[in-house]
Amino acid sequence: MSRHLVDVFDTMLTMKAVLDPRASVPPFEERVTGCVAFAGDHINGAVYLHLGTPFANQVAAAMLGLGVEDLGEAEVNDVVGEATNMLTGGLKSWLCDSGAECAVSTPAIIRGTSFVIEPVPEVEREWLIFDCNQNRIVVEIHVKVG
Amino acid sequence: MAIKILSVDDSRTIRLIVGKAFRPYEVTLLEAANGEEGLAVAAREKPDLIILDVTMPVMDGVTMLTKLKEDPALKGIPVIMLTAESGRENVLQIARLGVRDYLVKPFKEDQLIEKAGRCVTLEKRPVATPA
Repeated sequence: MSRHLVDVFDTMLTMKAVLDPRASVPPFEERVTGCVAFAGDHINGAVYLHLGTPFANQVAAAMLGLGVEDLGEAEVNDVVGEATNMLTGGLKSWLCDSGAECAVSTPAIIRGTSFVIEPVPEVEREWLIFDCNQNRIVVEIHVKVG
Repeated sequence: MAIKILSVDDSRTIRLIVGKAFRPYEVTLLEAANGEEGLAVAAREKPDLIILDVTMPVMDGVTMLTKLKEDPALKGIPVIMLTAESGRENVLQIARLGVRDYLVKPFKEDQLIEKAGRCVTLEKRPVATPA
């Protein structure tokens, strides 16, 4: 999963993201969060990609080849949704090749400052935190097996 | 005359990236946000190439491609599938559908141009020179 995030940022944005295994979950500022769910007979869950709003704007500008000032909220939402989709596509491929067939949803976007995503019971939560040009990229994965 | 390329993707981001990739070439880019719209645009415009996403609301890429192949007027249009999933089964399923090629997201614009160039002749736009 971490390799796939690095690949998405490198290929689509020419941005170098580095996993920081020692980082703790940062306090959440105003952010744009992409969410894609996956579901199958043996496994289900969701992938969340959290980006601070100023960094989400930079990412959208880089991906679309536009200036930050030319972007609206809709464009930024679409870019974050697509990045989350690519990230989850990589996870889905790995799960399917491992025998855990599943389908993925289309992306959803959450914007805000103080929201927290609480996993439902029996769901395991994993965090991956990356540094990218002194910005934080936070990937939150919820998985329920069985 | 510019060739026509139809980009069918629910993500405006991907349609913009596809448009950006073909900007240096003599290409008229047509867009649709799902398979249903894609079929309507394909029937009306008869594009030279279709760049088709797999997972979309309303009508997905697999259904659109199946309908395209059933239509004698459209079945000869080459299709490049775009997918976020590189798993073996997914790739095999796409291959069975009779697509010309496929591209896994994330992708570089150069890769798209290279694959499109195998299906249609891409000619560079003349570079504008200052008067």
